[in-house]
Parts: sequence; C-alpha cells; structure tokens
Amino acid sequence: MVNAAKVLQDLRASAERKPDVVVRLGKPLVESGAVMKLDADAWLVYEQVAIAALDVGDDALAQKCIQALETKFPGSPRVRRLNGMELEAKGELLEAAKIYKAILEEDETNVLAAKRQVMLLRAMGMNAEAIAALVKYLDINYPDFEGWLQLADMYMEEFMYAQAAFCMEEVLMLQPQNHIFHLRYAEILYTQDNVQLALKQFCRVVELCKDHVRGLYGIKLCTSRLLKSSPSKDATATSQEDLKAIDLLATERLLAVYSAGSAASAKSASTKWIEHL
Amino acid sequence: MLLDPAIRNWVLIPIMLVMVLVGIVRHYVTVLLNGTPKKADLKSARETKALQRAAILRAHGSHLPEQAFQARKSYLSEAFEKGTYLKDPIGSNKPKGNLMSDPAYVETMMDGMKKNIMNIVPQTVIMGWINFFFSGFVLIQLPFPLTIRFKSMLQRGIETQDMDVTWVSSLSWYFLNLFGLQSVFTLILGSGHAADAMRDMQAMSTMGMGAAAGPQMGPTGQPQDMHKIFLGEKENLDLAEHEWGLDDVETRLLVKYGKKPRSVLVDKRTKALAAASASAAGASSSTPPAALAATAAARSKKARRQV
Repeated sequence: MVNAAKVLQDLRASAERKPDVVVRLGKPLVESGAVMKLDADAWLVYEQVAIAALDVGDDALAQKCIQALETKFPGSPRVRRLNGMELEAKGELLEAAKIYKAILEEDETNVLAAKRQVMLLRAMGMNAEAIAALVKYLDINYPDFEGWLQLADMYMEEFMYAQAAFCMEEVLMLQPQNHIFHLRYAEILYTQDNVQLALKQFCRVVELCKDHVRGLYGIKLCTSRLLKSSPSKDATATSQEDLKAIDLLATERLLAVYSAGSAASAKSASTKWIEHL
Repeated sequence: MLLDPAIRNWVLIPIMLVMVLVGIVRHYVTVLLNGTPKKADLKSARETKALQRAAILRAHGSHLPEQAFQARKSYLSEAFEKGTYLKDPIGSNKPKGNLMSDPAYVETMMDGMKKNIMNIVPQTVIMGWINFFFSGFVLIQLPFPLTIRFKSMLQRGIETQDMDVTWVSSLSWYFLNLFGLQSVFTLILGSGHAADAMRDMQAMSTMGMGAAAGPQMGPTGQPQDMHKIFLGEKENLDLAEHEWGLDDVETRLLVKYGKKPRSVLVDKRTKALAAASASAAGASSSTPPAALAATAAARSKKARRQV
C-alpha cells in the first residue's frame, strides 16, 4: 500500500497521465478505504483516481471518488470541475459546459475550468470557437506550453500552418530540450515548403536525440530536395558540400539503424525508399 | 541541573507551557483570520505573465529563427510601450493622489496589520509577563561548559560579571523557547503552521507591509507603477541580441557523428571572434561611443554569418 501511494505521488509530481496504472494502483486503495491513512494526501489521490477512472471508463469508481470529495469539500470549484468531467464522460456536454461557465463566473482566473471549456468546445467540433477561447486563455496564461501545443494541433487541423508554426515556436522557447517539439516544428516548416529551415530543425532533432529515425528521414527528405534544386544564393543557406555530407550521414545512419535487429523485409523496404530519394 | 523544585515547577515549566499554548492558539486564530485567500485578478495575472513572456524571449530566443525572434521582439516592445498589457490602459490615467481611496490597497494593508498584530501582541505580552514576575530569576544550569561570549545570550536580564556562563536566566529561557519550539509546533500542528516564531522576528524587523504585501507591492509597500516596469523590460528587450542556435547545426551534427574533426567548430568560433574584434576596432576610430556598441554588434553578427 505504501508503495502504491508512493508511485501515485510520483505520477502526480511528474504530471504523467497513465490512467491504467493509476486505476490499477488506486482502485484497491479507494475501495478498501486504506486511502484515508494517507491523511492530507488522500484527497489528492481521490482526485487523481477519479480522473484516471474517467479516462479508462470506470464510471463507478469515478463516481465513488467524486462523491467522497464532494462530502469533504462541498461547493469547491475543483470538485465541481470533476463533476463536469464526469458529465463529459457520459456525453452530456451541455450540462458540463454549464458547470464550467458557473465556475468561471465565480472566479475568472480558474485555470482548470478554462482549459476544460476549451477542450469541451473542441469535443463538440466547434474548432473555431475552441481556438478563440484557447488564444484568450494563452494571452493570460502565457507559460502553459501544453496549451500552445494544443493550439498548434488545432491550427493544423484547420491547415493554418503559419499559425501552427508560431505556436510551436512558443513551445520551443518554453521547452527547448524536448526533441519531439523540435521535430514537430520541423515537420510544419517542411509542410510550409520552408525546406532550408526545416533541414536545420531536423538536424537539431538528431543532435538532441541520437539516431532519431524520424528526424533522419526528415533530413533525408530535405537534403534530397535541396540537392535537386539549384544552389541558393543566400549566404545563410547550407553549402552544397555540407548538404552532401549530411545527406550521406543520414543515409548511413538510417541503414545502420535498420540493419541492427530488424526484419529483412522492413530493411529492404527502407533501403529501397532511401535509395529512391 | 535545577536550582530548586519550586522554580522548576512554577517558573521553568510554566513559561514553556505558556509559550506552546500561545503558539497553538495563535495558529488557530491566524487560520480563522486568514479565511479565504484573496482572489487573484485576471488582469494583474496577465500583467505579470507578459513580463515573464519578455524574459523568456530574452533567455530562450536563441532557439527561434531570426525572423520569428524579431517579430516577437518588435511586437512585445511596442505592446509594452503602448501599455497593451497594463491593468488600466494609459488612456484612463486616473490621478494617483490618494492611495487610501483604492480599496484593494486598503485591504492589503489591513491584512498586513492584522497579521502583524497577531504576531507581535502575544510575544509582547509574554515578555512583559516574564519581565514583571520573573526578572532576575536563574532557571537552569546547562550541563556543558561555554565560553564567555554566550553570557549575553544566556543571561539576559541579569547584570552580574562573575556568574558562570552555564546558568540561564528567565528572559533567556524565553528566547531559547521562542526559537527552539519550532519543531515542537511542527510535531503538534503539522508543517506549514502559523505558530512560527521566526515570523515574529521578521514582522518586528520590517514593521511594515513588506511581508504581507502582494506581488504588486514594492519593498516600500507602495503599489508599483507597472508601466515603468514595462518600459524597463522594453529597454532590456531592445538590447537583447539574437544569436541563432542553429546557425551551424549541420556542422555540429557532422562533428557529432565524427564526419568532421572537432576543430572545425573551434576554428569557426575563433574566426568569428577575430572578425568581431577587428570590426569593433575599426568602428571605434570613426564613430562616437554611443553608436559604437550597436555597430560592433551588428558587424560581428554579419561577420559570423560570412564565416
């Protein structure tokens, strides 16, 4: 039991969302009542388990957790948000929207409700409204990189790549160490036909994460296109010599990655693809 | 180590007990008085986050391509100058004459006063009580020897030259308790309690709103002029230079995989430095000092790119 509580605490601290793990560990805690031995942490565990239960569709468990929280903290906006999420899980989106709206009317700075509201709009398929709401939210809560990621996602759904690139730039400033964000930015740039810049970003991805296959493929795509087109006059552009070297490197690494312990068919397919470019 | 059982029973232990009890009572009264935390205001949150945004841009701008950086820089410095992010835009410049007419300010001040009174009153009362009834009492003897320097700490209120340092006076016992009961309170009330003696010390030393002031208050307790802060940040932004971290990423990657010798990178850097210093030297002969920094910076950037 102590171990389960510790794992749950670690998951809370790292803000990871692993609903299956949380439910597996938390369900016995909640159902046996052992959770109350954790004192003040008990309520955090209840909240965590409730959200995880909603994620995996265990409505009874979620109901139980939320009920416990409601009796302890009647009228708390944090619990009411859970109520809203429960309604969302049941598909009663309009009811949930009412709850979030009420919370925000009482306290306009409530971040949790504001975020739920955005996602609710998105779930209802009102992308334009969701984007507007999220932009408003980010204007106030600038450092929320997950918000920016979400916004980039929504813009991409609308094929607004310039806007999505802007959002990813913000994410890069807030989380510069994460190579996956760099990769995403690079792919947006490539889609925008900004191959020169995309190449640099793909290089950055591989620099941050050695032998990152998707990054290597990205490099390969960019270099083959740049090498085919006439050399650019721009002084900042990568030199032809470097391009060739990078192209060679990417090919080499890709072949090396695929030849190390992968099925023969996959290997031949990838080799064919790479040679084809 | 006690002098007399009567002193132990009627002075030493009561002082400690009273201090513990007062600490506990104070904790609960503080909890009662605090009530609900003050709700943050959306607009002031936006103000501080905007400043943060500029700071992040300055610190991590090197991850952005030149164009993206410049666009953000010019947008933010213009917004700061115009006061787009201000709580009350400059247009509605109301007279800043009387602070007392601002309800938010008065409320913060009252909060601070309440907290200070909660801190100072009980301690003053206990100290007065000890001074009145037990002044000049010697309560215990420490079981270990100490140097003469501890005399002022352990024998407060007793002005004798010759008494051994290990004897502790009543007033000093009070002070030892004041600082030493910290962990006892943590044991009884859990962490984060309000019976903290160190807070009194802070309250006494500042005697003002300092500790209780919100984020909008300066060290003097006056609300700060956010527009001035924004203008300061704008200046910082204007000075911020963009140096793209991806300028030579291809070379770095080739070096990483051992396709090019490491010396390539070093050569590049030294060349860039040499070019920068050369251009700076060239500029210094002709331009006035004010413009010098800017031109040197611009040239060094150009030089780096050519290399």
